[in-house]
Amino acid sequence: MSLAELLSLLPQLILALGGTAILMCGAWLPNRRLWLLTGMGVALTAALTAGLMEPPLAEVAGMYGTSLYARFCTIFWALIIALTLMISCRYAELHKFGGGEYASLLLFAGTGMSLLSAATSLVGLFLGLEAFTLVLYILIAFNRTDNRGAEAGLKYLVLGAVATGFLAFGIALIYTASGSFHLQEALAGLQVEGSLRPLGLAGWALLLVAVGFKISLVPFHLWTPDVYQGAPAPISAVLATAAKGAVVTAFLPLLAGLGSAGAEVKSIIWLLAIITMLVGTFAALPQTNLKRMLAYSSVAHMGYMMIALLVGGEIGGQALLFYLIVYSFATFGAFGVVTSWALENEEIQDYADIRGLGYLHPRRSSALAAFLFSLAGIPPLAGFFGKFGIFHAALRSDYAELAIIGIFTSLVSLYYYMRPIIVLFMQDRAAYQLREGCREEFVLLASCFAAILLLGVYPGPLLELIILVLP
Amino acid sequence: MIVPLEHLLILSTTLFFLGLVCVLVRRNLIMILIGVEVMLNAVGLTLVGASSFWQQLDGQIMVIFLMAMTSAEVSISLAMVVYLNRRKQSIDIRSFDEMRG
Repeated sequence: MSLAELLSLLPQLILALGGTAILMCGAWLPNRRLWLLTGMGVALTAALTAGLMEPPLAEVAGMYGTSLYARFCTIFWALIIALTLMISCRYAELHKFGGGEYASLLLFAGTGMSLLSAATSLVGLFLGLEAFTLVLYILIAFNRTDNRGAEAGLKYLVLGAVATGFLAFGIALIYTASGSFHLQEALAGLQVEGSLRPLGLAGWALLLVAVGFKISLVPFHLWTPDVYQGAPAPISAVLATAAKGAVVTAFLPLLAGLGSAGAEVKSIIWLLAIITMLVGTFAALPQTNLKRMLAYSSVAHMGYMMIALLVGGEIGGQALLFYLIVYSFATFGAFGVVTSWALENEEIQDYADIRGLGYLHPRRSSALAAFLFSLAGIPPLAGFFGKFGIFHAALRSDYAELAIIGIFTSLVSLYYYMRPIIVLFMQDRAAYQLREGCREEFVLLASCFAAILLLGVYPGPLLELIILVLP
Repeated sequence: MIVPLEHLLILSTTLFFLGLVCVLVRRNLIMILIGVEVMLNAVGLTLVGASSFWQQLDGQIMVIFLMAMTSAEVSISLAMVVYLNRRKQSIDIRSFDEMRG
């Protein structure tokens, strides 16, 4: 590789090499806090590099692009990794995680995510996706004293491996049909009517199954609640935000490049969006566990994002990215509160255990309430604006039926978002005093809260930035 | 190419679905992982066939990537098998059903 190529991939290299260095040094100097904070520094450096440095090449090795879109995604994933390391500071201390391994694995996951969003070829897409899936297998089962963590790891491993098989076979079929891995040519190959076109479409169907597994579209969502419940709360936060977001951002240019040839693919996504919204919402209603509820809520939110993906173009892309960012902050904050409430041997996540907690820990409880309100889409929080953007885009481009179902499920979702909030502020308290939050946790929750409030009342700058970076 | 592309595709699709059936039917974690391996090797076969059909090397390079990725995945999943076996003294996936709802 030439120097220019290496410089173009500098943010990803910083993440990967920083992770390796922390892994090596962590073996000699077992200091948990030091390595978590170093990892945070590495992730922030990568975000800064992606933001400030103009890459010399537009594409590296025909696999990864360095467009504004890719850089924007890299910044966002690196920031999420930094936030995760920050919120894990005390959680890792409590559960005696190996600091070096934990930090370096998260940085590797960040590398995979940013490579996935930057992929311009199917090979790059495959490698990026696998890079962070493999890391997540380990991270989900990271808490070695927890039976549920082991079970969650097993479930994610088996389903993830099957999804990998589908993804790889889909890519192989698309390659067979088009003769190229490069996205533009591979997608163009599908537009020509020929004997190989059915093969390409079959490849696309398999690809959709794999993507459906990764971002938990119904009917491929069954692993979601179990894995989110069993995984350590900071890892659930990454799973629900960055791991899904990276797949969505990689899928956006893919679908846009498909153009008119994608009518069949789009009709499948249309169906998936409808059942994902409905099943996700109604399955969340009876939940009495915060993490499971958030898992089903993330399923429903993926359904909303599929609407924006279908609309496509400038308004669809804008609505999608804005929604993704707002959803990520709110979900991350909610899992952050669960992380902050964790005890040594368990996490407080059942509704029965959080009864009356609002009076004992008013700041964190109100933050959780705000995040849930934002997810439900109540103004003036940013979730409202995000949903408005998506439904507006759907109405403007003849997807009125999707907008109506979306509005209906948003109304129903109020019930399951309100339930934990009401339980939190009930008078007859069953909850007992938990730990006081530490400084890192408060900084993080405050910044997530500030983000959803600011983006709700003043979304203009972010929307303009998104228009600028859209591919 | 001596072998027609259709034959190769039929073979690899059959292999892929055999692997999938193995994953779905078996209850032993090791057998499930073997099923996944069969699926991924079917993919490798398709890629090599397509690469020779289009007279390009890209497909074969992808097979190498695929093999590297698979070995990483196998090492992680076998580590998981050892870990799960220590926790529950069993690698039958039916013994892992604590979470419901």
